[in-house]
Amino acid sequence: MDNSGKEKEAMQLMAEADKKVKSSGSFLGGMFGGNHKVEDACEMYARAANMFKMAKNWSAAGSAFCQAARLHMQMQNKLDSATSFVDAGNAYKKADPQEAINCLNAAIDIYTDMGRFTIAAKHHMTIAEIYESELVDIEKAIAHYEQAADYYKGEESNSSANKCLLKVGSYSAQLEQYPKAIEIFEQVATSTMDNPLLKYNAKEYFWKAALCHFIVDELNAKLAIEKYEGMFPAFSDSRECKLLKKLLEAHEEQNNEAFTEAVKEFDSISRLDQWQTTMLLRIKKTIQGDGGDLK
Amino acid sequence: MSSDFEAYEQDFGTLTAEITNKIGRIPKLAGEEKTQLVLNVDKQLEEVRELLEQMDLEIREIPIQSRGMYNSRLKSYKQEMEKLEKDFKRSRIAYSDEVRNELLGDDASSSESQRAHLLDNTERLERSSRRLEAGYQIAVETEQVGQEILSNLHSDREKIQRSRDRLRETDANLGKSSRILTGMLRRIIQNRILVFILGAILFLTIVLAIYFNLRGH
Repeated sequence: MDNSGKEKEAMQLMAEADKKVKSSGSFLGGMFGGNHKVEDACEMYARAANMFKMAKNWSAAGSAFCQAARLHMQMQNKLDSATSFVDAGNAYKKADPQEAINCLNAAIDIYTDMGRFTIAAKHHMTIAEIYESELVDIEKAIAHYEQAADYYKGEESNSSANKCLLKVGSYSAQLEQYPKAIEIFEQVATSTMDNPLLKYNAKEYFWKAALCHFIVDELNAKLAIEKYEGMFPAFSDSRECKLLKKLLEAHEEQNNEAFTEAVKEFDSISRLDQWQTTMLLRIKKTIQGDGGDLK
Repeated sequence: MSSDFEAYEQDFGTLTAEITNKIGRIPKLAGEEKTQLVLNVDKQLEEVRELLEQMDLEIREIPIQSRGMYNSRLKSYKQEMEKLEKDFKRSRIAYSDEVRNELLGDDASSSESQRAHLLDNTERLERSSRRLEAGYQIAVETEQVGQEILSNLHSDREKIQRSRDRLRETDANLGKSSRILTGMLRRIIQNRILVFILGAILFLTIVLAIYFNLRGH
């Protein structure tokens, strides 16, 4: 009940604001405090958008915020404009993902212009998440995550950069861009190796990198594992490393059952997640493929 | 001389065989027969000890070169005697199987209870190994959770550091702006004073002009 009333109010406000903007557009209005009117109009647009949000009319809210943002740009208020674009993006996220992405892109342009790379990186991540979940365009998501990681690196926030890089790595491996994935995982692993807070994560990254090596070529995997053990002795103690060695053996002997058994044993203790299961399945197919030829 | 020693050895052998036999029988008996047998064995152990002493004396009469072999034999006989004594002591307090069977029923049921016992043990082992595995799983999960928490902490730490730096910058900027504002204020005050002074001078000039005009008339 309350919300529909809000919506009507919101529409009224929008109409008023439109009138103000138009009136300030004419010559006389521009002379006599046109700026003042435009500012008022901005504020009214913002209030209208908030009321639309209360009424859960996301697309209307988004468009109101966009209007406000454009007016801010006119008045050269870059910061306000960027914040309005971000609000618009958030509102559109629930209704129209594509529009959201456009608004967020506009906001990112403004932020990079001003030199605020951290915030720009954060919004790149948001866009990438939208691509990940709603629009399911993995390549664009990868591109945005990469941008975000670069900006974060530029601003010396290494852990956020690593987070983005990891996502890039997982998705590239999914898309079968293995060399890139391997490079990313190794890079992240070496950088986290030394940090006392993060070194317990390093073994997980080595494990992922070794998996990717494995898919490409078995010999690569062996060399890689030796290299990692040399770099990071704790890796050889981990269960993942033992599993890798067992898998290597099974692969050499082209033994499908030993492979499955080793994987099952590992899984019984700690569940394998979706990504890892996909990779292992690919490796298993290569074994089966070789075995199938013999038949 | 050595023939004496060998005779002693033979006696030793027969005596120990008898003693072992009797020791084997002791747990199965009870009451009168047991005490008699015990006394018997005691006596025979005494005889064995005497034999050993005589063997020792014999050895001393043998020339030193050939003593070695006899010495080692004597040592092994002494060890055997000690073992017999120990067995004897144990047998006196041991319970025989038959007494146990009398108490707990016949032979067949005892094997059944053994089987149930074994099954019970196996089950207990399986249960404990399952629990161990569950415990291991939980430990591994805990480790993973710990990893995530650590990486979150790390990123939070960086954020906090960045905010702190930005705050310091803002603080410096605020200081600068407040200085500029005070400068502006000062200049405004100066301007106003100037304006007043000028206004006052003008006023004075006008007054003087009118005054002189009137005086001139």
